Amino acid sequence: MKLRLVIVVANAAGWLSRITKKGSGVMVTGRIILKLVPSAVQTLSKSRKVILISGTNGKTTTTSLIYHALSSQGPVVSNFTGANLFAGIAAALSKNQAAPVAVLEVDEMVIPWAMKQTNPRLIVLLNLGRDQLDRLSEVRVVAQKWKVALATAQAHCAVLADSDDPFVTWAAQDCVNVIWFTSGAVGHIDASTCPECGKVLEWNTHLTSYSCTCGFKKPNPEWILRDGELTGPNNQKVGVQSGIPGAAALGNAARAIVAAKAFGVPIDKAASEIAKVLSVDGRFGSLKIGRTNFRLLLSKNPASWRETLATSAQGPKAVALVVNANTQDGKDTSWLWDVDFSPLANRTVIATGERRLDLSARLTVAGIKHEVCADEGAAAKVFGAVDADIIASYTAFHRLSKQVKPS
Amino acid sequence: MTLTLVHLLPELLGTYGDRGNVEIASWRLKQRGIAHEVITVHAGDRVPVSADLYFLGGGEDDAQVAAREILERDGAMRKVINNGGHIFAVCAGFQLLGASFPASGDRTIIGLGILPVDTFAATPRSVGELLSESTIGIGMLTGFENHAGQTGYLDEIQPLGNVISGVGNAQASTVDGVVTDQVVATYMHGPAFSRNPDLADWVLARKVGELKPLAAPIFTQLHQERVANIK
Ligand SMILES: [Zn+2]
Repeated sequence: MKLRLVIVVANAAGWLSRITKKGSGVMVTGRIILKLVPSAVQTLSKSRKVILISGTNGKTTTTSLIYHALSSQGPVVSNFTGANLFAGIAAALSKNQAAPVAVLEVDEMVIPWAMKQTNPRLIVLLNLGRDQLDRLSEVRVVAQKWKVALATAQAHCAVLADSDDPFVTWAAQDCVNVIWFTSGAVGHIDASTCPECGKVLEWNTHLTSYSCTCGFKKPNPEWILRDGELTGPNNQKVGVQSGIPGAAALGNAARAIVAAKAFGVPIDKAASEIAKVLSVDGRFGSLKIGRTNFRLLLSKNPASWRETLATSAQGPKAVALVVNANTQDGKDTSWLWDVDFSPLANRTVIATGERRLDLSARLTVAGIKHEVCADEGAAAKVFGAVDADIIASYTAFHRLSKQVKPS
Repeated sequence: MTLTLVHLLPELLGTYGDRGNVEIASWRLKQRGIAHEVITVHAGDRVPVSADLYFLGGGEDDAQVAAREILERDGAMRKVINNGGHIFAVCAGFQLLGASFPASGDRTIIGLGILPVDTFAATPRSVGELLSESTIGIGMLTGFENHAGQTGYLDEIQPLGNVISGVGNAQASTVDGVVTDQVVATYMHGPAFSRNPDLADWVLARKVGELKPLAAPIFTQLHQERVANIK
C-alpha cells in the first residue's frame, strides 16, 4: 500500500477511536502506519528538518516552547501531547506533510531509533535522572545508550546539551557539533560517581561544577542563562521570560531560544513567542473542584518534585499532593524519602492519592503538618472557597488534566 | 550516654529512599525522648568506628564498588563489628557485607566479609512487592525489592523473614535477609522502617534496651495497608 493511502486510513482510524472516546487516537494512527509501512518515519522525515528533544524532565514543555518559537516562521508538526514513543512519533509526522519542520519529543530510550530514522538537524538533551526505577533503567544505562547513538551523529546535526548534568555531558562530549548550555543548575541527585570511570565524582563547593581524576569534567558552556538573561557567542544577549512558572520552565525557555536560533529564528523573536506560552498539556492549568480553584502541577520523580515544590511555594497557601503508584507512576514509592518536603512548612497541606499513607508517613517524619483525605473532592471540602495547588503524580495528573479549563 | 547513629555514604548508597530508615530511626528515638545524634559519612570522610548503629542503603553498581573501597579502608567496618557496633543494611549494602558481589563488566568484587553470604548476578531482576513472615517474632514484613543480585548463605544463619510473596535473597530460596547478633540485612527498601515500625523498634531496642510503646498510628496503618494489599 502506498504510504499516502496508509496515512489517510490510519488517521481515519485514529479519528474513529477519538470520537468513540477510546483514546486520543494518536497511538492508533501511529501503530497502523508503522505496521503497514515500517519505514514510514524515515520517509516522512526525508524532506524535513527534524529536531529531537529528550531527557528525564521537561521534554513536553521544551518541545512545546520550540514548536511555538518555530511556528512564527512557518508550519511545524509536533507530538506536543507527550506521545513520545514509536507510534506517537509516526503519527506526528503523518500530519501536514507540507510542513518543512518537525519538532519531536522522544523518550530517552527511543533516541537511538529516532536518530536513525529521522536524520535530525538538532538534538536537544535536557537532563538524566532517576525515574521509576522499578520499570525504567538505571541512569547510567540510559546515558550509555545515548553515548553510543550520539557518536554516530554527523556534523550537520547539532547537539544542544546541558553541561550542568554529568550524564548528559558524558553522553554528548564525543559529538562533532555540540552546543553546550548551562542554566546554573546545582548538583545532581544521581551523579555521585564519575560516568566515565566510576570513581567518586568531585563537585565544587557550590555544586555548580564537577571533575574527576580521570580527566572527565564540566565543559565550558557557550550559552549561559543567569538571572533571567541568556548570553551566547559574539555578545548575543536576550532577556528570558516564561509564562510557565518556575526555574525549570525558565531554563527550558532559554534552551528553546537557542534551539530556535539554530533554525534561523532571531533570539528576540524566539524569546517573545516563548514568553506567550502559559500552560502546556494541562500543566499549570486551572480546574474547579467543589468550591476550590485548583492549579494543576505535575511531579514525576525526585528531581521534578523538588522543582515543583519550590515553584508551588510561591503560590497559594493551600496545597494538595496526590501520589499514586500505578505502572506509569512507578510502583515503588521509596523515592518519597529522597524528596525534601520542607518547602511545605507553614502551608495548609493535604495528602491524597492511592498511596496517601506512604506520603503521610513521609510528611510526619519531615515534621510537615497535614491532613489525609481520600480524594481531591474531600480535599476541596477541607480547603473551601480558596485558591490551591494540586501537585499530582503521573496517572493522577492525566486524570485531572481532562478537567482543566481551556485558558 | 548519647546514642550515635551513622548514616554511611548516602550519595553512593541511597538509590531507593534508604535515607528514610535513618530519619525514621531518629524520629522514633526523638518521640520517646531518647538522646541521640546522627552522623552522616560522606565519600571523603573517615568512618567513625565506635558508634552504635550504622545504616547502609542500596545503590547502583559503580557506586557500590566505590562504597566498598571507602568502607574497606583501614578495616573500618571490621573495627565497627569488633567494637560492638550494629548494622542495618539494605540491598547493595547487604551484598557488600558478604564474601563477594557482582559489578558491571562481569566483574566479581570481594566484599567486606562481615556476613557469611555470597551474591551472584542473575537475570531477570527481582522487582516488586516483597512480603515475608519475620523470624524474630514481629509478624509480617513488607517492602519493595529491586535487585539483580542473588544472595546465598555460606553458613547456617538466621534469615530475617520467610518469603510469602516476592523473591527475597534469591529466586531459588524462600527467605529474605539475615539476622546475626550485630547485623540485620534485607532486600526490602520502601524504606523498610516506614512500612515496618516494629522492625525499626526491634533494631533500636537491641542497642538501647526495652522501648516505651509509641503512638504513631500512621505507620501501623501503612503497614497493615501494604500487607493487606499483597495477601
Ligand atoms: Zn572519572
